[in-house]
Amino acid sequence: MSGGKGAKMAGGRGTRLFIVPMAMVAVLFVAIPLCYVLVISFMTRGDNSTVQAIFTAENYRRLLDPNYARVFLNSMLLALWTTLLALLLGYPFGYCMARANRRWRALLMLLVIVPFWTNALVRLYGWKILLQANGPVNTVLRALGLIDQPLRMLGSYGSVLLAMVYCLIPFMILPCHSAVDKMDWSCVEAARDLGAKPWYAFLTVTLPLTLPGISAGCVLVFVPSLGLFFVSDLMGGSLMLVGNLIRDQLLKSRDWPFGAALSMLLMAVTVLIFGLYRRSGGKDLGVF
Amino acid sequence: MKKLLSVLLALSMLAALPLLSSAEEEKVLNIFSWDGYVDYASVIQPFEEQTGIKVNYAPFSTNDEMLKKLQENGASEYDLVIASDYILNTARLEGLMLPLDKEKLPNFANLDERFISQYFDPDNEYVVPYMSGIPLIVYNPDMVQIEIDGFEDLWDPSLVDSIGLIDDARVSIGMVLLSMGQSMNTTDDAVLAQAKEKLFALRENIHVLEYENLHNSLISGDISVAYTFTPYVALALDANPNLKVVWPKEGLGFGIDGAFIPANAPHPDNAHTFLNYLLDGQVAAVTAEWQLYCTPNAAAQEFLSDAYKNNPVFNGIYDRFGDAEYVMNLGADESKFQDIWTEFKLLF
Repeated sequence: MSGGKGAKMAGGRGTRLFIVPMAMVAVLFVAIPLCYVLVISFMTRGDNSTVQAIFTAENYRRLLDPNYARVFLNSMLLALWTTLLALLLGYPFGYCMARANRRWRALLMLLVIVPFWTNALVRLYGWKILLQANGPVNTVLRALGLIDQPLRMLGSYGSVLLAMVYCLIPFMILPCHSAVDKMDWSCVEAARDLGAKPWYAFLTVTLPLTLPGISAGCVLVFVPSLGLFFVSDLMGGSLMLVGNLIRDQLLKSRDWPFGAALSMLLMAVTVLIFGLYRRSGGKDLGVF
Repeated sequence: MKKLLSVLLALSMLAALPLLSSAEEEKVLNIFSWDGYVDYASVIQPFEEQTGIKVNYAPFSTNDEMLKKLQENGASEYDLVIASDYILNTARLEGLMLPLDKEKLPNFANLDERFISQYFDPDNEYVVPYMSGIPLIVYNPDMVQIEIDGFEDLWDPSLVDSIGLIDDARVSIGMVLLSMGQSMNTTDDAVLAQAKEKLFALRENIHVLEYENLHNSLISGDISVAYTFTPYVALALDANPNLKVVWPKEGLGFGIDGAFIPANAPHPDNAHTFLNYLLDGQVAAVTAEWQLYCTPNAAAQEFLSDAYKNNPVFNGIYDRFGDAEYVMNLGADESKFQDIWTEFKLLF
């Protein structure tokens, strides 16, 4: 962040003016909509998606219903599984990418980035076709004689997890890659020279040194996982997640105030996760 | 004096301007409906060529979004709205509709009288019915051991993990209520508690809850039974003619989408011209075959293809009007249904 240092040295009123556009964007696109949601969450529902300006805390009291707690738990669990799987697959990938020679590294990076150029919905429809009962995966398995009835993979929890990990794994790979890449390898060499076996050196030196990358990756995967409800719907998972619940309150129950209260709770959970991350020494997530 | 005269002249010309424009409407029509709900090539384009009226199509994604727009901007942007029955009722009660001028709609007589005088417009003053749909059961007899003829059969133990149900609280809990001989619009807590128990008992048989893709799951063999909306039943049957369509004996959910002119539409004359065009038998037939819904237009019958007329999806309603029930807007009681559905989905 050399730019930050430069600004500090220059001091002066002129440089402070550069913050104005950013502050305006933040107020316009973050603060105002958030305040709007917050205000609505304390109002009373009217008919047909209308809101009556009568103050109430009822929307927050309703959040105490154990069923809504279960919906949050459902989302947390799915996010947790997604993060774990993404870590188990993404860390080795990022590690190998950082250790590969230049040509391979460029190729692997390309493989991580290129799918981003296609809309996630389109790619998930691709997975649907692959996994459906008469799709290529079942056809191959049947041709190999491994199964005689087609597997009904679509709609299972596993198919939802697969799609979630698929969507979010780049956010794990990139910070892990960057952490391994920037690590001081002489530490590992020193450990090896002092007689540590490769695995022992990895566990005691590499892993602790790349921990910031791992925790950044985990936050970057976990937090969006909480909101990616359409993945479950698309894969036929029929799961009730926080995102579905908020959508249903807005579009089906036509209860905007309660939907707003749910959104505020989700936002609070997200802020809490970021807070814990920063407190535990996590770096700025804008940079990896 | 000369100066004064020219000023007076200019003023009188200004005053005449609005008169001029109101005498002859600008040749523009702004339609507000779901994306693609009026086909451009087969319906709108021929209309533009015939009348010289340029049609603009603004899409909305939900009925409620449409209503909000009309409430907010006083509806001065849109000339014609097509939306669902329950929201038509709300819009009518809120005074957001312009009364139809029947003089300009001679084709209104083409409508089958069983589709008019509905609750959302009992005296046929505001709404022109456009399309009608009924969610039906459709199943693959090669994969199902039993004969299905009603909702009750969905609870059969042989159907374990094989049903796809519409992911919508009102439609699917409504189905359970119909199977119990109750109204889809009940708000009776005791009845809803029973329905909830019965719905939970169906969990084992359900493979997937989806809103608009069940036909694909049925075609691919991921499910063997689906309860889904009219166009999806038609699409499934189109891909696999061996599928069987069931008009459930216990009762039917029913819906009509209708068109109306907002109260202060800028081009009401053009809107009437377009409505009369939509009501033409030939145009109505083209629309029905394109949208895969049942047509409320009696004059369309002679123009419909045999494939459409012989399709069990589209012709069953004529024997069953007595059993069909609308899903109505229950206001704050909608939450009762939504809460049951949330709890049900937690079982997945």
